[in-house]
Amino acid sequence: MFEFLTSPAVYQFIRGPLVWLSFMIFIGGNLYKFLSMLSLAKKDKVVFPYISLKYSLRSILHWIIPFASTNWRKRPGMTVITFFFHTCLLVTPVFLIAHNALIKESWNFRLWTIPETIADVMTVVVILCALIFLMRRLVVPEVKFVTFGTDYLILSLAVLPFITGFLAYHQLLFAYELMGTLHILAGELMLIAIPFTRLNHMVYFWFTRAYTGSEFGAVRHTRDY
Amino acid sequence: MIKVERRPVSDPGIDENAKKLTPEQIEGVIRHVLEKESAGRLRTFVETCIHCGLCSDACHYYLAYKRDPSYSPVAKVRLTLWDMIRRKYRVDAESIKMYARISYAECNICKRCSMYCPFGIDIAYLMTVVRRICGLLGVVPQYLQDQGNSHMYTYSQSWVPQDDWVDTALWLEDELRMDIRNGRIPFDKEGAEVMYSPHSLEAKFKTNLLTNIAKIMNVAGVDWTMPSFDGWDSTNQAMHVGDYETMGMVERMHFEAAMRLKVKKIITSE
Repeated sequence: MFEFLTSPAVYQFIRGPLVWLSFMIFIGGNLYKFLSMLSLAKKDKVVFPYISLKYSLRSILHWIIPFASTNWRKRPGMTVITFFFHTCLLVTPVFLIAHNALIKESWNFRLWTIPETIADVMTVVVILCALIFLMRRLVVPEVKFVTFGTDYLILSLAVLPFITGFLAYHQLLFAYELMGTLHILAGELMLIAIPFTRLNHMVYFWFTRAYTGSEFGAVRHTRDY
Repeated sequence: MIKVERRPVSDPGIDENAKKLTPEQIEGVIRHVLEKESAGRLRTFVETCIHCGLCSDACHYYLAYKRDPSYSPVAKVRLTLWDMIRRKYRVDAESIKMYARISYAECNICKRCSMYCPFGIDIAYLMTVVRRICGLLGVVPQYLQDQGNSHMYTYSQSWVPQDDWVDTALWLEDELRMDIRNGRIPFDKEGAEVMYSPHSLEAKFKTNLLTNIAKIMNVAGVDWTMPSFDGWDSTNQAMHVGDYETMGMVERMHFEAAMRLKVKKIITSE
């Protein structure tokens, strides 16, 4: 198994065609999800008549800024963890030096990068926050009550690229070649899974918030934050 | 279905009617409501929920039952909608009784949980979808169904037909004149500023409330009126039953009464 995973052919495959494939599934899948949501929303009698740009933005802004909504203020611990988790999860892979070096090799351009030590710390933050999420699922009664196998699955899918990336960077556990391969695989798995699991809250967040913000603001003349 | 602790409560509207259900009927109704009647909101809300439990503190049932997790908003969705979807709509009558209990008696659609959900998922709407399913199956708390039936037969919530309504307002006007000289409860005044539409009970056992309003309107000198015809009742229990056909009729009658009287504003009580 180890030999198979570290063989040059497999390595070439997962760092070449499979990356393209997973990005295509990620983008195509999300586009499909978005379009099917749009067509279903047209069938729903109240969605389009209610929607309002002003109240959509008001709602989204109050919920993507830490402590800007009542529930964020009532749950400061959860707010800090959630915002650290999501910020690090999105920023680290995009602005990582190693990733940008690969992009530069292929297309000769790169984004800004963050120093390696900071990226390392951010990776640990993601892993620790995920651990806290896991503990919540196991311990907090109201969360435990609504936890299914899929909840553990999507949490693992989100955090595996970070665990494998951390281990590969520090050359721990397995040989670097194997760990690197596993890291790429984990990242691809996550990308493929996003459109088809509840990880698609990454896309839906903006639209559910826009609808509820509009309903509360434009129709009921009240706040939803 | 997982076990949840509930004190048994018998309600003929739920228990007796659930006995008549057939599996085909249940599956058909759930399929109709979830696939034909509901669309974008239902699908998106169910697919987005990340099961974080942050809505719990919003719910007064959850707080009142000493933070019993089965009363949290997301738990109620889990015990009803997710349950139907996971079991591919093939659920038994016992489950329908549970759905009815949760959606009618353990949630009053206040929407506070939508204000707590980071995604703004409208959990109250999801509960109305469950009520719609139970309503179509006829598994509804008897008292509530009775009010829904009253809307169908008398166009008011509490079995007050139109002639009783006029009669009640006329004797209330007589009594009003003991307190206010030449006090009026004006019916059908076209072009008035305000149409007052009472709660059905104001024409039945809480008539003193209608008298109070009449006193306020008379003393304040408001240009007001009420319809003598159907559409006077501002309540709509059919909405709570999940009987959207009757709900639509009641709502239309109410607004058409205001249109017919050419009033500028509608004032409703409670």
